[in-house]
Amino acid sequence: MSASQSAVRSRAEAIKVSRTFDWMICFTLFFVVLGGYHIHYMLTGGDWDFWTDWKDRRLWVTVAPIVAITFPAAVQSQLWWRYRLPFGAVIAVLGLLLGEWINRYFNFWGWTYFPVNFCFPSQLIPGAILLDVILLLSNSMTLTAVVGGLAFGLIFYPGNWPVIAPLHVPVEYNGMVMTLADLQGYHYVRTGTPEYIRMVEKGTLRTFGKDVAPVSAFFSGFVSILIYFLWHFFGKWFGGTSFIKSI
Amino acid sequence: MKLIKDKVAKLSFVALLMTVTAAMLYTPTASAHGEKSQAAFMRMRTIHWFDLNWSKDTVPVNETMTVSGKFHVFAGWPETVDKPESAFLNIGTPGPVFIRAGSWIGGKLVPRSVSLELGETYEFKVLLKARRPGDWHVHTMMNVEGGGPIIGPGKWTTITGSMKSFTDPITTLTGDTVDLEKYNLENTYFWHALWFGIGLAWMVYWMRKPMFVPRHIAVEAGKADSLISSTDKLVGMAFAVGTIAIVAMSMASTNAKYPVTTPLQAGLLRGMIPLEMPAQTINVKVEDATYRVPGRAMQMTLVITNNGDEPVRLAEFNTAGVRFLDPKVWEDETNYPDDMLAAEGLTVSDNSPLAPGEKRTVEVTASDAAWEVYRLADLIYDPDSRFAGLLFFANEAGKRQMVTVDAPLIPSFI
Repeated sequence: MSASQSAVRSRAEAIKVSRTFDWMICFTLFFVVLGGYHIHYMLTGGDWDFWTDWKDRRLWVTVAPIVAITFPAAVQSQLWWRYRLPFGAVIAVLGLLLGEWINRYFNFWGWTYFPVNFCFPSQLIPGAILLDVILLLSNSMTLTAVVGGLAFGLIFYPGNWPVIAPLHVPVEYNGMVMTLADLQGYHYVRTGTPEYIRMVEKGTLRTFGKDVAPVSAFFSGFVSILIYFLWHFFGKWFGGTSFIKSI
Repeated sequence: MKLIKDKVAKLSFVALLMTVTAAMLYTPTASAHGEKSQAAFMRMRTIHWFDLNWSKDTVPVNETMTVSGKFHVFAGWPETVDKPESAFLNIGTPGPVFIRAGSWIGGKLVPRSVSLELGETYEFKVLLKARRPGDWHVHTMMNVEGGGPIIGPGKWTTITGSMKSFTDPITTLTGDTVDLEKYNLENTYFWHALWFGIGLAWMVYWMRKPMFVPRHIAVEAGKADSLISSTDKLVGMAFAVGTIAIVAMSMASTNAKYPVTTPLQAGLLRGMIPLEMPAQTINVKVEDATYRVPGRAMQMTLVITNNGDEPVRLAEFNTAGVRFLDPKVWEDETNYPDDMLAAEGLTVSDNSPLAPGEKRTVEVTASDAAWEVYRLADLIYDPDSRFAGLLFFANEAGKRQMVTVDAPLIPSFI
């Protein structure tokens, strides 16, 4: 067979090969993104995502969306502009969450016996869906960054609240007020995670009284806009194929 | 030749398989937490743990035990370690094999970090509730911000029973009693499964159609807009509206179900109450100190002055949790861990009672394999070759007085 001849003999065979290729790419993309995104998120979100006694209304709300919007932006840049496929953010977040759940269940619980109700990951899928839909409807990177990035930051806290709220019920423990999440952090001994490294409830948002979560979420959304732009370009640069032309 | 090569290859493969199998069958349990790898000066010149007591050697699941005692925050704290202005009384166990049901310094609950004063001595207690069966090394431990974990002596403790029966009942301020071990677990699984399902549904909607090759061809041909239909946009809008609606409704229902929630509690606890130590009546000056490497012994020349009103004798030298005792003066009755107790490890050139007002120069030798086993001899390789420890003097009635020592140490290799 010469180079100019087709590798397939019929349209049906071409469709079959194309679909096989689809699944191979999807499978590979999913696990490559899972690995890269998971390492990135563990290094940057780290303890804020690992433990319930780090999931506060100031810094967790601020940090998690900012460091989480990175890979969705990069994957979107490839899947949308090359294929018009609007699931870059969701596939990235599904990969991250699958990796996280495997890690939390088998490592945190299976090996070291931290209960899952203490070390479950943060929920990111609502934000990812909004990010994908806004790109689909707007066909604009700028609008996706501005509206989608803001939405990604804003929806993070309410999207997690049904799971977090039960752990913020107060208890009186030996004469001190703590939340159930604080108590989890105190009860389940972590020799390498002393209490003082916990970065929670720090900051200067005192003038907002108890309602600091929306302010933190807005700030997080604002920074997420900037990070979206940055990582969208990272994705474009990383997914470039100009090296093929030079071969 | 080929036959020989094949045989070598075959035998090599068999050998590799046997090695892998042997490695899989022999998997000893890791038992140390790295305290011996910690620089000797960190253990000798920061937190001195003493009068330690592990209340039980064996404890069934759901039962409690305490680790209690005292710790002295050394005044000659090394320059290379941040001072304990923010420290956390921890417990050194391999993960949450116990839960920490309570911890106190000077009678004050310390669930958060505390500020400690150099030169002060504090009483502490950690209440542990057994959770996971096994043999565990339970260490005292103080984490110091900027200094890392400072691990104290450890003792083997056995937990019996089954982890399945472990419970951790807590009554909230809203009047509910929950088992913290399993609390909120089903709710967590439900919400994560639901959102994962919604995310998968979004993926499936797009993946059921041809994806990469034909779409790439269309995009390259300038027909990208034809790839998104009005139905696609409607489905997208439905997903977005549905997402916002689910989030809004779940937040409202959660707020209705949990009307009282509070923020995480944080912040440094100050004002730890130190132990009131008796006025020091014994003065000790270290004339010189050497560590004899071949003999695994430290020798000190001490000038001791008794300014009290009772005769005293040197009973113990304690450094990094290793206790060297003069058996003629003091015997341990606390069931202290054997490997850290040199019951006959202290010899004094003249340990007759030192009368009130008397001043005496003595040669003190602290020798035991523990110097090597606990890698305290590595002190000679530290950047600041000083040793430190606690000397305990005892009177006839057994009343003790603690004196700290801190001096340069000269190694002797012959």
